[in-house]
Amino acid sequence: MEQTFILNLIHRPEMVPEYAATVTGQGREEDIANKKLLTESLDIFKTQQRLAHENGLKVTIQMTYAALFNEEAVALARHDHAVYGDEIALSLLGLPCEQFRRKYKTKDFCIWMFSLEDKKRIVDDVFGKFHEIFGFWPVSTGSYYMDADLTNYIKAAYPSVQCAVATCWEEGPKAYHTCNNSWYTLFDGGPWAPWIPSRQNTHAPAANAGEDSGIVAIPHLSRDLLACYDGNGSNFGTHPQNVLRGMIYDAETWEYPYLYNLIDQYRDLAKYNDGYAYNMMFVGPGWMNKMGRWEAPYELLLKSYSDGCRYYGDLKKQGKLVDMTMSEFAAFYRANKTYTQPECALWRDILYGSDKQVFWYCDPYLRACVNMDQGGAIVDLRPYAAKLSWPVGIGTKHVQDASYPFLIQEKYRAGYFTHYAGEGTVRSAKLRYHGEEADLCLCRTKAHFSREGRRRILTLDPVEIVFSGLTVKLQTRVLFEEGSGAIELERRILSMSDPAAQVELDEYMVACYGTTEYPEDMTGILLACEGGRREEITYEYRCREKSVPDAWQVSAVIPAIETKVSMTPSGDAEGYVREGYAFSPMFTLGFKKMMKEKEAFSTWLKLEKAD
Amino acid sequence: MAQAGKGRLNYRCPSCFMRDLDIDMFFDRDRQEYYCIRCQFVGTEQEVLSWNQRIRTRYKAMHRRFTSFDFD
Repeated sequence: MEQTFILNLIHRPEMVPEYAATVTGQGREEDIANKKLLTESLDIFKTQQRLAHENGLKVTIQMTYAALFNEEAVALARHDHAVYGDEIALSLLGLPCEQFRRKYKTKDFCIWMFSLEDKKRIVDDVFGKFHEIFGFWPVSTGSYYMDADLTNYIKAAYPSVQCAVATCWEEGPKAYHTCNNSWYTLFDGGPWAPWIPSRQNTHAPAANAGEDSGIVAIPHLSRDLLACYDGNGSNFGTHPQNVLRGMIYDAETWEYPYLYNLIDQYRDLAKYNDGYAYNMMFVGPGWMNKMGRWEAPYELLLKSYSDGCRYYGDLKKQGKLVDMTMSEFAAFYRANKTYTQPECALWRDILYGSDKQVFWYCDPYLRACVNMDQGGAIVDLRPYAAKLSWPVGIGTKHVQDASYPFLIQEKYRAGYFTHYAGEGTVRSAKLRYHGEEADLCLCRTKAHFSREGRRRILTLDPVEIVFSGLTVKLQTRVLFEEGSGAIELERRILSMSDPAAQVELDEYMVACYGTTEYPEDMTGILLACEGGRREEITYEYRCREKSVPDAWQVSAVIPAIETKVSMTPSGDAEGYVREGYAFSPMFTLGFKKMMKEKEAFSTWLKLEKAD
Repeated sequence: MAQAGKGRLNYRCPSCFMRDLDIDMFFDRDRQEYYCIRCQFVGTEQEVLSWNQRIRTRYKAMHRRFTSFDFD
């Protein structure tokens, strides 16, 4: 494929914009039919449309349920479809309005949180109303999150739908926390770039036609793959007002180079993804409130959106961007991507001045983050291979929590451990020599991307480990083989100050499972070490360890998330498994091997569905 | 003493912002100060603006325009 940077620009006429009702209406009784609010909301939508069209950009207009009852909003959509080729789509956001509240007698507004029965009722109602108004069925839809049951129902009942906004990247406990523990969008663990969701779990991409949900999913916004993982997601995305919310602008000049750096870094990802890169911008009207928001006066809110549209428009004029509607993009994606083709992102810090670098990898079997500032340690790992069925909404076990569970999450489970007692989740290695120990997590380095056939390879710059009397130069490669569900970590001893010396290499993975900062019950996890004999531990928080010399596999089966994770070595090595304890609810898998100069040793971390 | 209300621009508490919390402050007209309902921060508008500038110091590359995104 030629270098293609695609933009999906989406607007929604929302009659009661999020934020606007509470901000504009502070000190007043709630009135969602407030005429002033409705007028202002439509004015904002018109402004957004004007800015897009002035810059030559095509829009997908996602009509909200409330907007379907508003003749002016409908007329605007019809006009812009006819004149500018905008796509008229249907959003499952923006449900709140008098008609919805009267009919459903609830203030709930997030489609994924309703019971399955109500989801179907609402979808039928909203889609039916859309058809009644426009005379055709929508080809694209979306919400902040679309659970698998919801998507499967929509696709079965309304097969015209090709594309949906289906998640916000890493919008989970961090966003909840930022809103003083009140914003219940808990859906960490998904892809950051478009994907085809599986029928079993929205986050996990489909591995084949049998798993294909029938839609192409796009993320809500394109988010900073470093800043967002650590902080409030709503400060760091291709959403100009998010950047203002993060105070990432000069208070005097009102300039925000970060927004353009973010867009440009996404453009740069084309070189890791066969020439294709993607951006999505979707700003709800509430963010352009005439009263101002996040300390920013309306003039600055307007300027930032205007600048965002202008930047994308200029890229289009320069032939560096293709704007598509959502359904056009779905067709493009289906024509140019295969099921197992991964999404790769070698990403650098563009905000804090740290030069930190991470690599994100996502395919139908796993999502992983490799942190070069920690020697190439894997600091986030989601076992998509399990294709975990995880119904959400009222009446399920997970009313709000739609996150895909992690095995490793360095922010919620400590990562490389620096505290008093216990361990943190991470996949790294230690070197030992004469009683001294060094973890590669403390070796800061950089990576270079390459591709060999179906393998995507990260080659890290060599690092030095200095012991008393011995200096070891070591290089790490991280290899992802498409469709394998495995990650190979190769360590090569390039040189040692004493060529006759031997060091012990300890390849380890500390893991657990969860979706939040808080621990889950580890009871019953089965740890196994297999070689000349088989050793097992069934997790009871008793701090036990088992090992087998010349092991060929160490593994953990985690029934709660139907996942098996294993490590296998490239040669003879001692395998071990370690149980945690109540103050350290983790398990460890690992291999130990004595290494000489010029030797290399690989381990494969594999993820499978556990029966 | 009348109840507090939102200020002119919905200033957030800068102290809470530094710990990744977005909390709109309220304005006490009698004392002419903003205050946080969650933590102990109080300040005039000038003090809030000054704290907001301090927040921005965490973004050391905020003014930099990047032209390269790898280390090759």
